[in-house]
Amino acid sequence: MLDISFARPSLPSSGAVALLLAEEDVPGALGPWDEATGGAVTRGLEAASFTGKKGQTATLLAPGGGLAKLVAIGLGKRAALDAKGREAAGGAAAAALAKEAKAVLDARFAGGAEAAAEVALGAALRHWRFDKYRTTEKPEDKPKLKALPVLTDDAAKAKAAFAPKKAVADGVFLTRELVSEPPNVLTPAEFAERCRRLEALGVAVEILGPKELKKLGFGAMLGVAQGSANEPRLVVLRWEGAKKKDAKPVCFIGKGVTFDTGGISIKPAGGMEDMKWDMAGAGTVAGLMAALAGRKAKVDAVGLLGLVENMPSGTAQRPGDVVKTASGQTVEVINTDAEGRLVLADVMHYAQEKFSPRFMVDLATLTGAIIIALGHEHAGLFSNNDELAQQIAAAGDAVGEACWRMPLGEEYDKKIKSDIADMKNVGGRDGGAITAAQFLQRFVRDRGTDKAVPWAHLDIAGTAWTTKDHATVPKGATAFGVRLLDRLVAEHYEG
Amino acid sequence: MKLRLRAGEAPAGRPVIVPVRGAVPAGFADAVAAAAFDAAKDEALRLFLPRDAVLVGCGDGSGAALLRAGAAGLRALWPADRAAPERVVLDARGFGPEEAARLAEGALIAAWAPSLPRAEPLPSPPKRLDVLCDDEDAARPAMEAAEAVAEGVRFARDLVVAPGNVLTPRAFADRLAALEEADLDVQVIGPKRLARMGAGGLCAVGGAAESGPYLVTLLWRGTIAADPVAFVAKGITFDTGGLCVKPAKGMEEMRADMAGAAAAAGAMLALARRRSPAPAAAVLAIAENALGAASYRPGDVLRMLDGRSVEVVDTDAEGRLVLADALAHARRLRPAAMVTLATLTGSVVVALGHHRAGLFGSDPPLMAALAAAGEATGERLWPLPIGERHRRDLDSDIADLRHCLPAGKGEGWGGRFLPDACHAAAFLREFAGSVPWGHLDIAGVESLARGGPLGAKGMPSGFGVRLLDRLVAQHFEDPHRL
Repeated sequence: MLDISFARPSLPSSGAVALLLAEEDVPGALGPWDEATGGAVTRGLEAASFTGKKGQTATLLAPGGGLAKLVAIGLGKRAALDAKGREAAGGAAAAALAKEAKAVLDARFAGGAEAAAEVALGAALRHWRFDKYRTTEKPEDKPKLKALPVLTDDAAKAKAAFAPKKAVADGVFLTRELVSEPPNVLTPAEFAERCRRLEALGVAVEILGPKELKKLGFGAMLGVAQGSANEPRLVVLRWEGAKKKDAKPVCFIGKGVTFDTGGISIKPAGGMEDMKWDMAGAGTVAGLMAALAGRKAKVDAVGLLGLVENMPSGTAQRPGDVVKTASGQTVEVINTDAEGRLVLADVMHYAQEKFSPRFMVDLATLTGAIIIALGHEHAGLFSNNDELAQQIAAAGDAVGEACWRMPLGEEYDKKIKSDIADMKNVGGRDGGAITAAQFLQRFVRDRGTDKAVPWAHLDIAGTAWTTKDHATVPKGATAFGVRLLDRLVAEHYEG
Repeated sequence: MKLRLRAGEAPAGRPVIVPVRGAVPAGFADAVAAAAFDAAKDEALRLFLPRDAVLVGCGDGSGAALLRAGAAGLRALWPADRAAPERVVLDARGFGPEEAARLAEGALIAAWAPSLPRAEPLPSPPKRLDVLCDDEDAARPAMEAAEAVAEGVRFARDLVVAPGNVLTPRAFADRLAALEEADLDVQVIGPKRLARMGAGGLCAVGGAAESGPYLVTLLWRGTIAADPVAFVAKGITFDTGGLCVKPAKGMEEMRADMAGAAAAAGAMLALARRRSPAPAAAVLAIAENALGAASYRPGDVLRMLDGRSVEVVDTDAEGRLVLADALAHARRLRPAAMVTLATLTGSVVVALGHHRAGLFGSDPPLMAALAAAGEATGERLWPLPIGERHRRDLDSDIADLRHCLPAGKGEGWGGRFLPDACHAAAFLREFAGSVPWGHLDIAGVESLARGGPLGAKGMPSGFGVRLLDRLVAQHFEDPHRL
């Protein structure tokens, strides 16, 4: 991770600098920079038609005063500037400075200490890179930026404000790393072992293998796992940070299919490599738990990760098989590629039996249908509880991980009726993301009554991975959900 | 089927539809017990003792449930294999005027059959519905409005069920021109004038067909001095997909690709028949997306009616092209609001299935009004987003914008998954300008996915007629709304 520090403003006399400027700051506020460069900064920015518009950048090479490079980044109108805007500007700065060995980021015009911390968070999030398997890349082609001092008037306060954000960023990085790992490396067993790292943060880590799962009656999850040489794992991560003892925990459940071939209902070859990120739900829960523990959140939280590999083989589950879930309900497996919901069904049941949670949120790269419905800007949000749904949507908007509410209803539930079992695992192409959510809702105990636990399901198939760089998210694994759910907890469930 | 309001008892010898809400009507208790009939759940119970009757459950008592109840009653008296009795009775005593109107409306809508010529005609529906009510004068206004709306629904269904060789663009335009009979002003613009006007989208899509394209405007003046609400709708009489031809499987269903225009026309007929005070207009883009020597091509750049250029990517995404020109034309009417209605994308069916239509728009109050009208009529909607990236995806290298993304060019997963309903809505928004605009993507709900009281599976639903009529009634009939 980029080594972020905060420093009182003193103009550097070498290296590169990124300067964040609102529209109101151009050109009036450039005094000290102009003094150091003999007026070159104002002249240069004028020549580059830089006005401070949001997202605008201008690069001045050798502006004088010993500097190699000055990058001006627009913040837009100050009145419209929010945390997301500051993070994005920090991200833009990190991208612009990535190849510099020595650089500083001047965040004074973005606001006070909290603003500087937000800028720093954006820079850190953007600078992350998964470099493990690049062995022949020349050093000069790699990003050189290792440390970034952020200039702000109250460095100590900014450092304190950054500490919890850094914990969340570390959670994001854990998720991104897990999601980026190739499927031959990150098997269910390896994924579970990596979760042990969270013990250092004070998280209790429990790992269950096939024997225990069989004892618990996880017939649906084991059915998915049975085709693979790599055994399944259920990882239970517990963080107890609430002041009150015996508080009901909040529960997060992640789908962790470390590779999804589709099984016997095998997927087309084109794009199958993307299926290494079919464990992003579980990866997100791991990162979220790291974030909560890392910032010592005052909440009791449980993360449950259902880890399997979905393989076609002689022992693989067949279309037509009927499996018995941990809840006792039976499922006719029509399509072995609708495996995520089978895993979640058992884990959701276990979560309720074991932890009687205050709410449960599951995350899953569940359906292609959600991408056809919404694209890549919103995750699909399904819930049996309007209040929880609104809290999640608001938290998502605040951190730039947007969700869009989708419908549930009896008429959709009818589509998963089976002739020989309690339900089937697919309901057809039409409304495919909704019928998947209906399937999950069948595993919410006492569904349809007041006793049912508040539950939300995030279908993150369209948002877990990106093929383009975004302001604070480089191309690749996004860790969508870590910041959102951390914010949800911070806003409503701590104390 | 004609409707007549009556007071008093049901005449002996005529079958009666008896809606059940709460207590079981006198005389039927034994039969209800024997059949374990549950008025909250079951739809219909056909009885011959103690009299010729059908009991229908009122479900949760909502307008949509009453509509289904009335329809279920009528359907029970009119089995598919037999002619219905000439006169049937609906016992709406004990129901308020609006409730009685919903029951009757359901029956009137259900009394519809495809009116296509065949050597062995289908059994015909009853000729008359006598509605028993407590107070005829109190019941009359709502009942007349219900008759008007049901006529609009049946009109729309007649259009939708007509196959592509019967309902050519020319025939469609002719049938719309005949709406002058209902005191609607009708303006039909034909292919030559459209070309002169520069309606490049509509002309390109309709260019390969034998007839059309047409742009038809229906105008209802109303009595309120206000700008009209405008329904802008897609009327592709048959959609082969054009050069990007569709697979053979299911192509016959493409006769219904004009269901948006049919519903908009049906709603206009309803407004006219019930003499709505609100001014309203429908601008209907009518064309056949045929395959021929004059077909437009993927890669073509079209000059649209509003002057913008559009790069064609997939000729099967034709609906948004004809709607773009229709929106530009509708804006010339200075509408207070515009609502597009179209069987636009397969994507919305994947998103929402067959139970809800997709709702998009630029104006939250209008969208909320549309959603409320949908809930009230049982023609349910669900909002879907137009995101920044949806719009950005439509940036073209050589034109002002492109109308969709190439297949296989989605992000990730081999590019297989495209949010095409969102892309289509983002495209249309460009042509709606600053007018408050809502958009209903009704693909998936234009035909009945399941057979039920309102009709047999696969038959046209008339989706949109009742919703738009309700929208106007709730939001555009207040003379002080300006």
